Amino acid sequence: MELPPLTLEQLSQLVASNAPPSQLFEALARYELQACLISTGGSSSNTGSSDSTLLSLFYSSFFLVHLLTDQVSEARALTKRIPETLLQHDPSLQNCLTLLRAVWQTQHGQVYQVLRGLPWPDILLPLIRRYESFFQDKTLIAVSRSYEAIQLATAATHLGLDEQLVKQEDPNIISNFTKCGWTWDPESKLLHPKPIVVSPAEPQSSNGIRKAMEMLGTHAG
Amino acid sequence: MTLLSDIISASANLHHSNHLPSDEYDRRIRDLVEYFRRLQTTKALDSFANDESFLDRFNPAIDSIPYLFVLRVQIQKAQELNADSLPADLRPSGRLWTCAAHFLASFDGVQVRYAGREWRLLVELVGQVSQAASMPLLGATLVKDAMLRLDPSCAVFTSTHLLLVQLCLQAKAYSCALPVLSKQICHFPISLGRPSSDPSVLCADHSSSVSFMTEASGISSKLSYRDYLQYFLYGGMVYMALKQWRNALHFLGIVISTPSTNSVSLIMVEAYKKWVLVGLLEKGKFCPPPSITTPHVVKVYQSLARPYVILAHAFERGDLKRLNAEIDAAKGVWCADNNLGLVYQVVGAFFSQTVIKLGKTFAALTMADLSKQVFPSPVCAEVTGSAVSSLIMSSALNATLVETKDHAETSMLRFSSIHSLPQLSRELDLQSQLKQEMKLMETLVINLGETNNNLGLSDEYIDSLHKGQVWSGSSEVNPIIGGEAGLEMDEDLMGDMS
Repeated sequence: MELPPLTLEQLSQLVASNAPPSQLFEALARYELQACLISTGGSSSNTGSSDSTLLSLFYSSFFLVHLLTDQVSEARALTKRIPETLLQHDPSLQNCLTLLRAVWQTQHGQVYQVLRGLPWPDILLPLIRRYESFFQDKTLIAVSRSYEAIQLATAATHLGLDEQLVKQEDPNIISNFTKCGWTWDPESKLLHPKPIVVSPAEPQSSNGIRKAMEMLGTHAG
Repeated sequence: MTLLSDIISASANLHHSNHLPSDEYDRRIRDLVEYFRRLQTTKALDSFANDESFLDRFNPAIDSIPYLFVLRVQIQKAQELNADSLPADLRPSGRLWTCAAHFLASFDGVQVRYAGREWRLLVELVGQVSQAASMPLLGATLVKDAMLRLDPSCAVFTSTHLLLVQLCLQAKAYSCALPVLSKQICHFPISLGRPSSDPSVLCADHSSSVSFMTEASGISSKLSYRDYLQYFLYGGMVYMALKQWRNALHFLGIVISTPSTNSVSLIMVEAYKKWVLVGLLEKGKFCPPPSITTPHVVKVYQSLARPYVILAHAFERGDLKRLNAEIDAAKGVWCADNNLGLVYQVVGAFFSQTVIKLGKTFAALTMADLSKQVFPSPVCAEVTGSAVSSLIMSSALNATLVETKDHAETSMLRFSSIHSLPQLSRELDLQSQLKQEMKLMETLVINLGETNNNLGLSDEYIDSLHKGQVWSGSSEVNPIIGGEAGLEMDEDLMGDMS
């Protein structure tokens, strides 16, 4: 099937769609060839700064979709394919690099800070929200399997929960954990996670986990 | 009738013909290919060399043969006119490039079996042009799609396999190579004149692609052992870039265990150096080469890759100071071999491997004790806790953490956990692995049958059978009786020995 030309409208429509991550990845992977031609001046569609804007948004979207499909190494490889000058001077792509560093080093707190605190172009916000949700789901599963007992504050850092509410031992947060099958020991002030099982055929963002994460009320401030 | 209308009518002869009996369809495609080869030899096709509208009249998905032949003529003409530089039409997004891309993304895989040489030349050209234009990504994507279109199994090793992996490495588009790298290579193109087990025509449905991807088909250029070694070395490098260490080891293992009589290829030595480092990253130990590697080759490897062997021993001893000293001492070697990045990753893996090894001695450790065991200089327990937590959460370490109320020092790392994943989770993982293995076995069984047949019909095998017959004198064994003949011959030879 003939691919429509890569334009801002086309890109924003694509990233705002609710398509599954794998489909988004396929679509953007096909557009990378057009982006490659635009970056070397081989395409006559746009000129100058509009090209830079389009390329910046395309590569940022593609980068985020790599993360959304859990391809961290390939996301790193993508940053090596982005034209060097664009990568060095574009704020959105610089944010992507900061995010990559945080994800690579499994600095969970830093990941949430980058996603929530840095300025992202409006067009990327649907992807940023999807990735944040994906990252929380993935981390919740990992925490449930990695800890036998965990302090509320540590869990909050991993899952990007509101620090103030956690300090106050907010009953809603605790009850949301206990709804996931975890137990709360008020004396030791520790959570005892129950490992979450995910079928290999079914990626981790199952409805149950998504609901649990929604219940946790994750957004700070 | 003009040549154009003649071509259109000849091409139309193939339209909607794939429902015909195989023999008839085969005859029609052969006739068409012959017709175009004749036009090419007599230079009659040159009259369309500059006709930009010619290709628009044909759909490459239906008229693959005319499209391919005329496109090749137009490309050759453009190259002749611009002998010193890359013609503008051929550059990515130029007219001829666009036509080539359109063709490679939509050609009819059955028709192209009959024009394998022309298809390969076009694929190679696309690769070369994308490299020359510094856009190897474009070439890699087109070559990959074309390969999978022609032979979805990719079970026959061709020169295009190597081209694809080279382009992917240059483009740093590693996952682009995976759809081909993940396929099992079971054959080389069989030689001219050797009958396949499947005697049916090229256009028939073949159980294995080796039936139509022969040497005579021209789908691959002539292959040497070097191409084979390079493919697996580069494939290993793709997996290294994606940090799929297990797959990388598998590919490198193929290179270093390639049979060799006396000399060892430099490619094999390069692969061995990477094998040592990847072994440390995947298994945390100095991995010996696969058991089928001949001992004299192993000796050559160890003498030519001495700094790597010393580095691996330092890593295995768990001596971080020594490891760092060895790395500093041979920095020039790592740089010259382009392995500096891997060496740094080995240092990064030292911590995780040390913690994993502690699990063989201890059932559990507090963070304070762990810090003392792992780090030569004092490190606060929070830092250790955070590093260990990352290891466990990324599944690099099979253990659990038990935090306590107040003190990070008293938090516990438990290696033998009672908190292990429920049985169901393990069974689901196992089930998924079994399904993958089953698919792999099915592919292998089909291709092994084909290989068995081809070997049974090879000149070497017939010769050896003949010799066996002579040796066994008046033995009643009939040499040409199929797959089990070899076993019987061996028994006879043993009989002679006694």
